[in-house]
Amino acid sequence: MVNVTVDPLTRIEGHQRISAEVDANGVITDAQSSSLIFRGFERILQKHDPRDAAFLTQRICGVCPISHGMAATNALDDLYGVAEHVPKDALVMRNILQGLNMVASHATHIYVLFGPDLANPAYRDVLTTLGDTGNAVWKEMVGRFAPISYKMDGVAVPAGSSYLAAIPEKKRLQEAIALIAGRMPGAASLYPGGYTYPATVADITKLSTYYLEVMDFVSKHTLKVDFNTWIENTYKASSPQKAVSFVTEHLQSLVDKSTTSNDFSKEAGWGDVEFFAAFGSELVGEKLLGLPASLKLDTIGGYKDPSKICFVSYGGYYKPKDGYDPRSPAGDRIFTSGVVTGNLEYLKFDPDKITESTAHSFYSNSSNDLPPTKGETVPFTDPDKIVFTGGSDSQYSWDKAPRYDGIPGEVGPLARMLNIKEPLVTGLALTFAENGYSAANVFTRVLARMQETAILAYELLNWVTVDYEPGGKISVPIDLNAAKNNQGMGLWEAPRGALGHWVSAGSDGKVTNYQCIVPGTWLMSPRDSKGIPGPLEQALIGSKINPVGNLDYTNPIGIYHMGRSYDPCISCAVHTIDLTGKHAPNTLRIL
Amino acid sequence: MKNLVRTLDSVDFLKMDRRTFMKAVGLMGASAFLGTYKADIVKALELAETKLVWLHGSECTGCSESLLNAGNPDILQALQKLNVNLVFHETICAQQGIWNDGKLVNTPELNSELLLEETYKEGNYFLVVEGSIPNGPNGSGRYLVIGNKTFKETLGEAAKNAIAVIAVGACACWGGITSADSDVAKDTDYRGVAFAKTDKNKGMLQELGIDKPVINIPGCPAHPDWILLTLGAVILGKIKLDDIPKVVDEFGRPKVYYPPDHTVHENCPRRGYYDRGEFDVEVGGEKCLWKLGCKAPYSHADCGIRRWNGSVSMCTQAGGPCIACVEPGWPDIARPLYVEREDVGIAGTNIDTIAKGAVVGAAVVAGVHAVRRMKGE
Repeated sequence: MVNVTVDPLTRIEGHQRISAEVDANGVITDAQSSSLIFRGFERILQKHDPRDAAFLTQRICGVCPISHGMAATNALDDLYGVAEHVPKDALVMRNILQGLNMVASHATHIYVLFGPDLANPAYRDVLTTLGDTGNAVWKEMVGRFAPISYKMDGVAVPAGSSYLAAIPEKKRLQEAIALIAGRMPGAASLYPGGYTYPATVADITKLSTYYLEVMDFVSKHTLKVDFNTWIENTYKASSPQKAVSFVTEHLQSLVDKSTTSNDFSKEAGWGDVEFFAAFGSELVGEKLLGLPASLKLDTIGGYKDPSKICFVSYGGYYKPKDGYDPRSPAGDRIFTSGVVTGNLEYLKFDPDKITESTAHSFYSNSSNDLPPTKGETVPFTDPDKIVFTGGSDSQYSWDKAPRYDGIPGEVGPLARMLNIKEPLVTGLALTFAENGYSAANVFTRVLARMQETAILAYELLNWVTVDYEPGGKISVPIDLNAAKNNQGMGLWEAPRGALGHWVSAGSDGKVTNYQCIVPGTWLMSPRDSKGIPGPLEQALIGSKINPVGNLDYTNPIGIYHMGRSYDPCISCAVHTIDLTGKHAPNTLRIL
Repeated sequence: MKNLVRTLDSVDFLKMDRRTFMKAVGLMGASAFLGTYKADIVKALELAETKLVWLHGSECTGCSESLLNAGNPDILQALQKLNVNLVFHETICAQQGIWNDGKLVNTPELNSELLLEETYKEGNYFLVVEGSIPNGPNGSGRYLVIGNKTFKETLGEAAKNAIAVIAVGACACWGGITSADSDVAKDTDYRGVAFAKTDKNKGMLQELGIDKPVINIPGCPAHPDWILLTLGAVILGKIKLDDIPKVVDEFGRPKVYYPPDHTVHENCPRRGYYDRGEFDVEVGGEKCLWKLGCKAPYSHADCGIRRWNGSVSMCTQAGGPCIACVEPGWPDIARPLYVEREDVGIAGTNIDTIAKGAVVGAAVVAGVHAVRRMKGE
């Protein structure tokens, strides 16, 4: 047994440690996920003007600041009692902002954070033993996904074509956000009751131009099948089976063309999505398409006990009409709220079923798995108690352990796609489950992120060119007195998953309590008081550290993939953890 | 005029005083002026390799995100042209910390901690710090532990062996959002590299007894031009280490981007409304945002000329008040953000100096509102 620890897990937002016990076969038998920082963030909002939250909570995360701004603005809409009256065009502007940020965030994850691992020398060592086909595949992987400042065996490796092309596109998306929000990161335009900037016809034209430029990148690098054809046959497919068939037939035609030529280039029709879809999965690549090798990413990062996991979405993106329901009941949002069980059964989302445990976190109170509104949290102030090596029974993370109805929840693109019953992702999940794989695994998690990016690109065009009408009403006034002795709840979906902000104000209209529960907290959580590991921990346990090739404790690429597949955001996870419902106590809690 | 432009072109604009700065902007046009330095970067060839180590403390990665938004040259071009070897950047690097039974394994090509050890030993690099440094609990620094080391310890090691330190963003400069007043602030005890809020005796380097030149590039986030052009100036040798004190203000900010006598207000796209005394009182309008809490008159930065994200906009242009994110002690000094404040206690600034500035700045159109203030009405 070897303890294999990755600390820090880089190429994520923030600072995270993964510690794993690995047996002689390279299988992880035990694991801990530790968040390494205490920021004490949300306390700074207390005693202040609630409206500051829309600005300041964006500083929780510089990668997805819009999401925090949105969740805060939703909470403030509710606090000031105007959620039902926010004008349609303000909501569409908010959608555009969030959509652009989510696409930028996903693209960053796929190309800058997750992608570089595909250029890891471990894959070279496996693929180059597989003859011309293997060599050709490796050439594509390193040629597309290598990061900057990269060396192998002392030789500098040039950055990949997709990597290099993605960075300017990300910049372009940020620029599009700034056009209607002042700057990015740190949007200035979110305000309760509406939006501060009425985009003009000229802005809309510019946004359309940005859109076309980004789609040009997509057609050159990401997806070689016609974009609309893809959407029609996946997102708009009449059944999950049809969506999966469309994709496998498309991939099969590429395979048939390329196996003799050994040409897996973009020019030969292999966009990054096609490439990943075929070579990322053992089931799709080797068993369905008959490829000689795959990365077997579907064999790692799955859940072994479906009764201990669920997939949670709070609901994101407003429907294009005046007003919305701050409680996000099923169907209120374009990406509906909901819960999917580990066995892929659909449930309605109920925010009252969320509890939190600190049994294995660096807080002094004893956990009782009650709704956090009833708890109190005090961070360790004894430096000697902040220890990350005490094992699974110890307290080992700054993250708490949120649970839905007592069950750990995966949030993010996969959870959202399952909850909206997106045909391709749902179809793939079912296919994996039917074939003895976990429906959720590194492959489906990343593919869901790619598919969601495509869907957002499709929806964004509607929001920009159809739903938004320049010259319409952009805000309704708020009455600052309405906040007095009131509460607000902001449920939203960030790129990484379900995000909630809760605010309470006192008789002076100032914040008495401000709490958030964020995607990273769900995903990276440590064990709870029943000892149930968090989603990442469950994904690790039972998975191999080297899904292909020789066992190498010193290059546990499976751990990198699993950790990064969730797109962790630790700055989010560690400082905004407390969930306070409608009856928040006035006693202030640490975090 | 052509001659003057050429002269200005060869002058290092980081060293300009405000008068020359504004003159240059006027003569060359804002975009041409802001481009001068970039042209130098694009032209730079045959430069010896410069190593850059970018550390993340308690941060949100927003400043790194901002840097990726750099314009022409963009970040990749700049690294190439300036021959910068970005040795380590936690969000970008290929490496990660890899440990077997508590020991570092593999090589610096895959192991970030071995890479950093090697880099510190070799020295001769510029250190960029993004994010603040917790001194708590009880001076231990254990509120942030990366790779089995407190970030406090890591910063000390990295700074000791660096040529100079560039603190990027409000958090690294003075603690930023993490040091905002709260009832846990005493426990967390967050510090900037060379300042804690406005106190230059409580920066983490002073705490550690390390003396290194530090340039502060504040903002929440910092503008990519401010970061990249400062790095460029240092790497191209436009600024010698000994010159640093001459080109920065009392808070370590390059005066050219954060001019002591120039505020965001002066070039705000809504400035005309202020001069006419026309103010928005609800969001979504087009007038001056002063009554919605705008802190632009207190904020020493060139946002109004430079704008953001490819110069497409800026906070006030999009209808959000300026939040003074470049000022020491932010965010406390700027709160409440949406409430008009007569005196936010920013060092060197109060409503009188603003009013005077406004009158001078608005020579053609009388600064009605400002004049009224000066008269004490």
